[in-house]
Amino acid sequence: MNTDLTDLVRYYLPKFPTQRIGRLVTDTTDFTSIDYGDVIGLGGKHYMVLRDEVERRFGLEDFKFWVKRCKCLETGEAAILKLVFNEEFTQKLGPSTIRSFRSAAKEARILDLVKDDPRFMHGFSLHDEAGNLVRVLEVIRGKRMDTVIDTLPGNHLEYFEDNMRDMLGLFISGCEAIGFLHAHGERHGDIRRDHLWVEGGTGVMRWIDFDYAYESHANPFALDLFGLGNSLLFVVGKQIYTPFTIQDMDGADAVVPNDYSLIFKNRMVNLRRLFPYIPDALNTVLMHFAASSEVYYESVNEFLEDLRPCLELLPKT
Amino acid sequence: MNFKKILLAVDASDNAMRAVEYVGNMAGNCPGFEVQLLCIERLPHRDLYPDEEEWKGSCEKARAEMKSFLDMARDQLVEMNVPGTAITQQYMSSCISPFQDNVVLCSRGTSVAQEILDALKAGGFGTVVIGRRGVSKAEEFLFGSVSNKIIHSAKNCTVWVVS
Repeated sequence: MNTDLTDLVRYYLPKFPTQRIGRLVTDTTDFTSIDYGDVIGLGGKHYMVLRDEVERRFGLEDFKFWVKRCKCLETGEAAILKLVFNEEFTQKLGPSTIRSFRSAAKEARILDLVKDDPRFMHGFSLHDEAGNLVRVLEVIRGKRMDTVIDTLPGNHLEYFEDNMRDMLGLFISGCEAIGFLHAHGERHGDIRRDHLWVEGGTGVMRWIDFDYAYESHANPFALDLFGLGNSLLFVVGKQIYTPFTIQDMDGADAVVPNDYSLIFKNRMVNLRRLFPYIPDALNTVLMHFAASSEVYYESVNEFLEDLRPCLELLPKT
Repeated sequence: MNFKKILLAVDASDNAMRAVEYVGNMAGNCPGFEVQLLCIERLPHRDLYPDEEEWKGSCEKARAEMKSFLDMARDQLVEMNVPGTAITQQYMSSCISPFQDNVVLCSRGTSVAQEILDALKAGGFGTVVIGRRGVSKAEEFLFGSVSNKIIHSAKNCTVWVVS
């Protein structure tokens, strides 16, 4: 065991079990071998690794071995260290596939761009001794936007009357943040409703995880817009509706295939069929993402120009 | 509007070659036609590569392919009896490339369709020709369609879309 490292950990984390103190890691290339108790040395600071981050999707836990939940020994602050994982993969969206890449450089660039913007996660990037671009991220205290909406009490009508206006207002601020990225030639790349968090205390919407890059020339912001459309669907619906979930609902008999998503054929978009009190203008925004649509949004500005006026059409609490 | 002054927008695809052949059929052996071949460079994005070397290599390959296509397109037109003197070529480099290009005009890569329309207007062309991939609605939404954007936005000209 490295005596200096043990002394360092004992000094800053006296309660940390000595037998669990691992290695001092300054080359993070082999990120899968970095485990609980190892200490990552970076930029003159030391980060105790506590665990790998986990993403929970569809009820499954997906371990992100390249993302380490840490505690900075010198400052005592929690931090997330994202290590370099040059993963190339194919995103499958309905019938279409998109070549994508996990880019540390992209995320580092955006972190720099948004360092003073509270609508995004914050952090900085540093090279380790092997030249890997490590991102040191703050831990956002709060809840995913979809969790906040999902846990609001009451049925859809009660949600519509009591909460939808506030939630849509928050969501619009999140869309404006994405517009800011686009205006600077950047794309989020992985817009999902679980990547938009409502910060505890401030209530500010904050985007996380912008390391996905993808190839798209003719319509460079389409994937981000697609993500915003999906997220809006949840904000308006309070949940996602499928043929299974709507089968006993009023209005379900009138549903036609064109009422579903252009990309995900089992995702109901025409929510006015189920909830006729949803303003027509708001439903029209949703319908841009439906199978029946002939016109698509090409920019966040276009999307927001239609969406912002909808706020005034929703009940005030 | 001089419809015989043609802007033929190409990439290195089979659809683009079909458009070239169509123009050859229409303009070959017919006096008065002028054809400008326009290729707007579309390089792979830097973020899709782990390092500069790999990105640069991929960009070099893409550029060579597109420039070679432009030459092939010209040869094809000449073979179809469009006079060589009536054909011009323009290769618009990407503004975001690993090469030290010293050019006045470059492609920002945010809208190929708009850049074609800008060239159309600037050159005073009466006809714009483009190949079409034939995409589904979902693909058009996700990836965009240059030909659809041109159909919707082109003014004061004829649009030939070759499928």
